[in-house]
Amino acid sequence: MNNRFKIILLRLLSPIFAIFLAALISSLVIVFIHQNPLKVFVTMFSFSFRRIDSIAIILYNATPLIFSGLAVSVGFRMNLFNIGVEGQYLMGAFLAALVGFSIKGLPAFIHLPLTILSAIVAGALWSFLPIYLKVKKGVHEVISTIMLNYISFSVIHYFIADLLMDKSQKMLNGLGSPLVRMPKLMPTALMPRMREFLNMFGFNIPKHVYLNWFFPLGILLAIGIYYMLMRTPFGFELRAVGHNPDAARTSGIKPEKVYFMGFILSGAIAGLVGLSDLLGYFGYMDLDFPRNYGFNGIAVALMGQNSPIGIILSAILFGFLNRGAEGVQTFLNVPMDTVIILQALMIISIVIITKVMNDYIKRMEKREVSKNASGRTAGVQL
Amino acid sequence: MINAVEVKNITKRFPGVTANDRINLEIKRGEIHAIVGENGAGKSTLMKILSGLYQPDEGEIYIFGKKAVISSPVKAIEMKIGMVHQHFMLIPRFTVLENIILGSEIRAGISIDNKKAKKIVEDLCSMYNFSINLDSRVENISIGQAQRVEILKVLFRGADILVLDEPTAVLAPQEVKELFLNLRRLKQEGKTIVFISHKLDEVLDIADRITVLRRGRVVGSAVPGEITKEQLARMMVGKPVLIDLKKRETDPGEVLLSVKNLRVKDPGGKSVLNGISFEVKGGEIFGIAGIEGNGQKELAEAIIGLVNIDSGSIKIRNIDIKGLSVNQIRKMKVAYIPEDRHKNGLVLPMKVWENEIMGFQRDDKFYKKPLLKLKSAQDFTRSKIREYSISVSSINQAVEDLSGGNQQKVILARELSENPDVIIASQPTRGLDIGATEFVHEQLLKKRDEGKAILLISADLEEVLALSDRVGVMYNGSIIAEFKPGEITLEDVGIYMLGGPEKKVSGE
Repeated sequence: MNNRFKIILLRLLSPIFAIFLAALISSLVIVFIHQNPLKVFVTMFSFSFRRIDSIAIILYNATPLIFSGLAVSVGFRMNLFNIGVEGQYLMGAFLAALVGFSIKGLPAFIHLPLTILSAIVAGALWSFLPIYLKVKKGVHEVISTIMLNYISFSVIHYFIADLLMDKSQKMLNGLGSPLVRMPKLMPTALMPRMREFLNMFGFNIPKHVYLNWFFPLGILLAIGIYYMLMRTPFGFELRAVGHNPDAARTSGIKPEKVYFMGFILSGAIAGLVGLSDLLGYFGYMDLDFPRNYGFNGIAVALMGQNSPIGIILSAILFGFLNRGAEGVQTFLNVPMDTVIILQALMIISIVIITKVMNDYIKRMEKREVSKNASGRTAGVQL
Repeated sequence: MINAVEVKNITKRFPGVTANDRINLEIKRGEIHAIVGENGAGKSTLMKILSGLYQPDEGEIYIFGKKAVISSPVKAIEMKIGMVHQHFMLIPRFTVLENIILGSEIRAGISIDNKKAKKIVEDLCSMYNFSINLDSRVENISIGQAQRVEILKVLFRGADILVLDEPTAVLAPQEVKELFLNLRRLKQEGKTIVFISHKLDEVLDIADRITVLRRGRVVGSAVPGEITKEQLARMMVGKPVLIDLKKRETDPGEVLLSVKNLRVKDPGGKSVLNGISFEVKGGEIFGIAGIEGNGQKELAEAIIGLVNIDSGSIKIRNIDIKGLSVNQIRKMKVAYIPEDRHKNGLVLPMKVWENEIMGFQRDDKFYKKPLLKLKSAQDFTRSKIREYSISVSSINQAVEDLSGGNQQKVILARELSENPDVIIASQPTRGLDIGATEFVHEQLLKKRDEGKAILLISADLEEVLALSDRVGVMYNGSIIAEFKPGEITLEDVGIYMLGGPEKKVSGE
């Protein structure tokens, strides 16, 4: 069973291996801009991990990516490509912002869940059209979701800048111009931060850290998704349809139904992506509301290999890269563009390494299996 | 006389198995040399080594007396070895001629010299008595003709040694005869032919010499005429096989499956089933013979609810199933063993136990809201593994890592577990070795004896005739003949398979 042990070891080592390779390739780029790679990496790590507040910021960075990675992965599990997470989360954040500022006088324990629910509903609704077209008419979901992303950008722009813009903003002495944003959300709709909770345990989290309860919610959701996939009939059907819709259909599963429900689920999760920022940081929605979480979610899901645990870890890695980038930028004067290149290189090499390692592990497993099987047939004879 | 091919001590190992174990083989120039053996005996590996797809781990190969290293298929054809694959590698939209010259076009400047190529191919056809229209598209020609295209392809490339991998697997008896005429003609012209098969009658008919492989080793060689079929079979499997299945007399009960005037169109609107009618009673196996692609697949899929019925009716225990879903039909105790187990029967990357409960995942047996009953599912799988002696290393193994026979057993165990009344078995033994085939036959006969209605669809004529109580022959979307096995000769069945006596056999 020496080999089995080796397989487990390789599985654990492969991400570490990947990160090392990524660092190696990145070093070339860093040398190219006349910096010392070692210094850059040391700065990245020390800046990120030396202080507890920095670690909390990494987790805050990771929060939206956990949700978007999960949303994308549910699609991937069915062999569908939900590029529309981007639009779905913007619509989710928008509806949540609307519910958050327009409904007044509710206690927090009703208002906050209602706000979150409205984000879920908006994300689900925004994923309805592409999957309806896919199932009924065979329109490829990649095309329709990309188009819906554009539509969502414009729709939100219209609502924020036009219909719902907060006109009550007070200008100091009539100077300056108002922000292009919707009215601020009621305090009852906001998500409390984890600061006080963590302080109880002796972690001293300063005020500028916005880590909030969406982070543990994301982890809970990941666990929930894992159970849904591995332990419920729906998850079973979802995986079967993803691997082989023909065989699933032959066994009596209706792939169209599974696609439909799975995609709506993906959209519903996507609706939550922007909430950590909206309800835990900004408190209002404006034209500069963070973008690209949806697209980054694709990379997160790929790197996490669609496993909920993997997604949490890769989201945290992304959070670290962002945090480390800030440090490198500030202390070493490395331009932002280089940092972005570093990030992209890391993602690419991690994806490649995990693929290569996985294939290798798979081959080893096969060898293991055939060894066992041949040992067995000798005794059993068909 | 030098040997066309001489193989010395060839060994090829794969993880866990030795596919070829010190194989020695001499193939004389100008002979038809048959290599027989069960699936998994190492025939295909040996042929892949000869055609340059695999490299041997040990051993030497001599081609026309010269030591050869066949490092790629291109190299193989340079050494005049041409491989005719079991699964045709033709482009349907291209013409016969285009398919033949594809990859070794004769050029005139930057364009292709079709005229010259056509002349060469026509000469080949007349030299070897091949009758085929070079300008018809491959999508419109018969399977027998497609095979001739494959042979012409390697001849066009100058092959002197032709390796044919299970060439008769897809052919009707008449087409087999034609193929054999072609092969004899090729032999007369000095070509060497390596013929891989596990159909013993054919091998005894065509071969000059026979080499038998078993478990990767050469277990003997023989000359037809000096050996009986039974002896050959014993050599092949190492134990006597029941070529005649013992069938108990049963009294057919009530009609469990009835199909009336069934018409089905394909998605393009082309009619694929043209008014099929038959009944299957309990305790009866109704066999459907016929060359593949004559509507058998659609028939099976219509009964299980995978394709829409255009008109006519299908009744299970006298209940019309029109408009019902696959799941609803399955719940009426209908089981389906699909012809393509990788495409329709299994979800390959999923685990053995997951495949074993596929389709039953919402039954009370395996489901208690909101979760699957993992333990019941796994216990169920373990009991099925014992009952059907499925060889696995763990129930958590991906089903793709099992051998073909064990995969089919997984399907069989699943499909028969709910004690179905109607069983649709589509090509249930395709690609299985003799041991596994026997097992499947036994199971089907057992269900028949228990009073179930079985629809057996198979391209293997011997199988249909051996198992069935009644046989229908399908041609072009219709059942054009129905009879009991023994009432009619193999030749006559073959004639029906090609469209019936009124139609002249094409290609002669």
